[in-house]
Amino acid sequence: MATNKKHSLTGFYWLWFALTVVGVIISIWAPAYLMPQSMSSNMNLTILTMVVFSVAAAPVAAGVYAATAYLLRHNIYRGNSVPPAAEVQTRENARLTIGWVLASTLLTVFLLIWGLGALTVDNGGNESNPLVVNVTGQQWLWSFSYAGTHVESNTLVLPLDREVVFHITSKDVTHGFWIAQMGIQVDANAGAITELHTTPNKLGTFDIRCTQFCGLNHAFMVTQGQVMTTQGFDNWLAAQPQRA
Amino acid sequence: MTTTLQHAPTKAGGGLARRQNFLTALISGVVFAWLAWYIGRHTLDTTTRSFSDQVAVLTACGWTVGFWFGIGALNGPGRWLTGRDHTRADDLYYAGENQGRARYWKYCTDHKVVGVQYIIMTMVLLGTGGILAMAIRTQLLTPGNHFVDQQVYNGFIAVHGMLMILALIVAVAGPWANFVVPIMIGAHDMAFPRLNALSLWTLVAAAGLLLTTLAVGSLPVGWVVLAPISNQAGVGMDFFAMAIIVFTVSTTVAGINTIATVMTLRTKGMTLSRLPIFVWGSVIAAALGLYAFPYFLTVEAIQILDRTVSTSFFVATGGGAGWLQANLFWLMGHPEVYVILIPAVAALFEIAAVMSRKPVFSYRTAIAGMTGLAGLSILVWAHHMFTTGWAPTLGGPFMLTTELISIPTGLFFLVLLGTLWRGNIWMKLPTLWLFGFVFNFIIAGITGIYLSDIPIDNQLHGTMFVTAHFHYVFVGSVLFGAIAALAFWFPKVSGRYLDETQGKISFWLVFIGVQVTFLAMFTSGLRGMPRRYSSYSMIFEHTNFVTTMGAYMIMAGMLVLLGAVISSWRKGEPSGPNPWQANSLEWLVPTPPPLENFDVLPTIKEDPYNFGGKR
Repeated sequence: MATNKKHSLTGFYWLWFALTVVGVIISIWAPAYLMPQSMSSNMNLTILTMVVFSVAAAPVAAGVYAATAYLLRHNIYRGNSVPPAAEVQTRENARLTIGWVLASTLLTVFLLIWGLGALTVDNGGNESNPLVVNVTGQQWLWSFSYAGTHVESNTLVLPLDREVVFHITSKDVTHGFWIAQMGIQVDANAGAITELHTTPNKLGTFDIRCTQFCGLNHAFMVTQGQVMTTQGFDNWLAAQPQRA
Repeated sequence: MTTTLQHAPTKAGGGLARRQNFLTALISGVVFAWLAWYIGRHTLDTTTRSFSDQVAVLTACGWTVGFWFGIGALNGPGRWLTGRDHTRADDLYYAGENQGRARYWKYCTDHKVVGVQYIIMTMVLLGTGGILAMAIRTQLLTPGNHFVDQQVYNGFIAVHGMLMILALIVAVAGPWANFVVPIMIGAHDMAFPRLNALSLWTLVAAAGLLLTTLAVGSLPVGWVVLAPISNQAGVGMDFFAMAIIVFTVSTTVAGINTIATVMTLRTKGMTLSRLPIFVWGSVIAAALGLYAFPYFLTVEAIQILDRTVSTSFFVATGGGAGWLQANLFWLMGHPEVYVILIPAVAALFEIAAVMSRKPVFSYRTAIAGMTGLAGLSILVWAHHMFTTGWAPTLGGPFMLTTELISIPTGLFFLVLLGTLWRGNIWMKLPTLWLFGFVFNFIIAGITGIYLSDIPIDNQLHGTMFVTAHFHYVFVGSVLFGAIAALAFWFPKVSGRYLDETQGKISFWLVFIGVQVTFLAMFTSGLRGMPRRYSSYSMIFEHTNFVTTMGAYMIMAGMLVLLGAVISSWRKGEPSGPNPWQANSLEWLVPTPPPLENFDVLPTIKEDPYNFGGKR
């Protein structure tokens, strides 16, 4: 009862194609649906990159799953004892191996080029007059001071469509400064200043969460921030108590 | 084998070792620990801030030395130093000749006994880590739940992580590089049988230290235990660091032993290209471990210095650098993932060939894939530090090396699927877990590619997405490989099959449990839930509930598996010496294999993958 006679691969190719289509649909839909609503160009880029990588990965995963399904459908031995040797005792298939390596290399190179390009865009800050905010983390809260003013606040308010540069440090242990809706994150380290920049492009509230374990109340080191119009931001800034 | 006639041949071997076992080791360890604690308290300067840390480190050293002494690890070196080296009778005693089950509780040099001891050790570590996982998931069942105290919870996070890392480092390499590799290559034992016993019992000592951290107060730091947060932890941190140091001794000794065995003890005709592929995987992983684990030892030793004698290597306020510690840690931390993964994958290559009655497809590609992965893995560590702020200019290069990882990893799929392709696949337990691995490993791999990309990592780093990703690697892939290996070699160890029915129930519970748990966890992460949270807001409510339910399912499945292992070991269906009709040497010796495996070492003429079909 040779179960390993050559079966047509048509079914395999169809399944591969169908799974790829399903994968691509999920890839396009899921990131924007599951991730926080974007409030900056960085986050737009992050979601786009998620989509691109998922679409690129869809045929790979679909191929593996289709191949597995093909094996389970056609190559399972149904006897009760040890199966006989497979009819084909292939040890090497140079064309397949080379093709496999080439395909995975090409895919990797594509992801790399996209990734490096996205990284350049992500890092790019070009405004001459950015708003500079100094961020200080400590167990277990954030404080923000606005450069050029005497305002220090425990909530972060940002103006719409103006580049913001964050200078981030910590008073005690390492914290992780992350704005979940803006796709930017960097650690707040004691004794060092790290930098982030972004340009908020949507009005509304956003969440700042600590992403580095920082002790007892790590889970409660959360703050809400707000993006306001330029006018609203200026009013807010003027209304803040001035630090001596 | 040399017979030392100058020693009295009638005298039974063993000496002191006749009175030593696990119990004396425990007693001796506790006594030495108490002595070290007592001496420390009464001689050290109680006015220094780091007094209690110094005492804790001394106590941990006392425990380790006492445990070594009590189990008999120091007998051999002691006798060698005093000019009364082991006789043949002694060696046979140490190998456990005619000692029945008692030898499993002793400093036994027989590689097969050590292998079984490693199986039990893996189950103990996995079980303890699993109980902590259940506590963590129960805490996270609903928002603001208070199942355990928040401080205790934070300690659970660290100890769960480290226990599971240790469990998986030994899960495949421990049992099978010890039990089957020497037989596979046609050797009487490992190259250094006493070091083999040393590695096992040192692991037991390290596990004792790790569990002590829970007893002496929590450890609010996360498993990576990086400064400065680690300096806020109490003496639990000292025991944690000492546990890692002792563990690195164990794994280094084991790695050297595996490499030396395969290098020197292959039987006649066992050329490198005829080695079963699992032997290659074991050696590559051992070599990678020898590169990686010294960083682990270094980083924890320096951490202890910082805590006990006021150095400030990693303390920024004292002129040190926390980033130095992070670098050293991840120089270990990434290769370690492949020290864990490679033996599991190599075991699956072996299983795929035997169970589909076909040779390993593209044997050389398999070796190249494992070697390439090991080599690349030492160049990718900084992707764990993309968001730390360290060396932003290096982001691009590390993104490059990290994404290249997908090429050797892709080769694993080529070899596995290529081996199974058009085979006569025998759908027994090992094969079932093999298919589970294939399903999960592609998810693990693809989600890893997202995290290698810096713009995405800037969003997802430090979130539950990362946790879900590496759980797909460790639980979905490595654990599945380890269980497949257990099911595959179980008949060789016990002479019985691992029960198919219970094994299948366990498989489906764990397989579905993994998808439920970690797909929901991906969603938590994508929605913005950071890792290591003891509590969370309402927006993460549903996904966390689902994750916890899935986690309970995994636990249920693992308990069924534990039941299957215990009941099959005692009264399972007898399997005979070669139930899978495989050709590698471990299946050609009787079950259980005799003390020195072979009366006459075999001569090898071809690799073990000729199943008799047409070429």
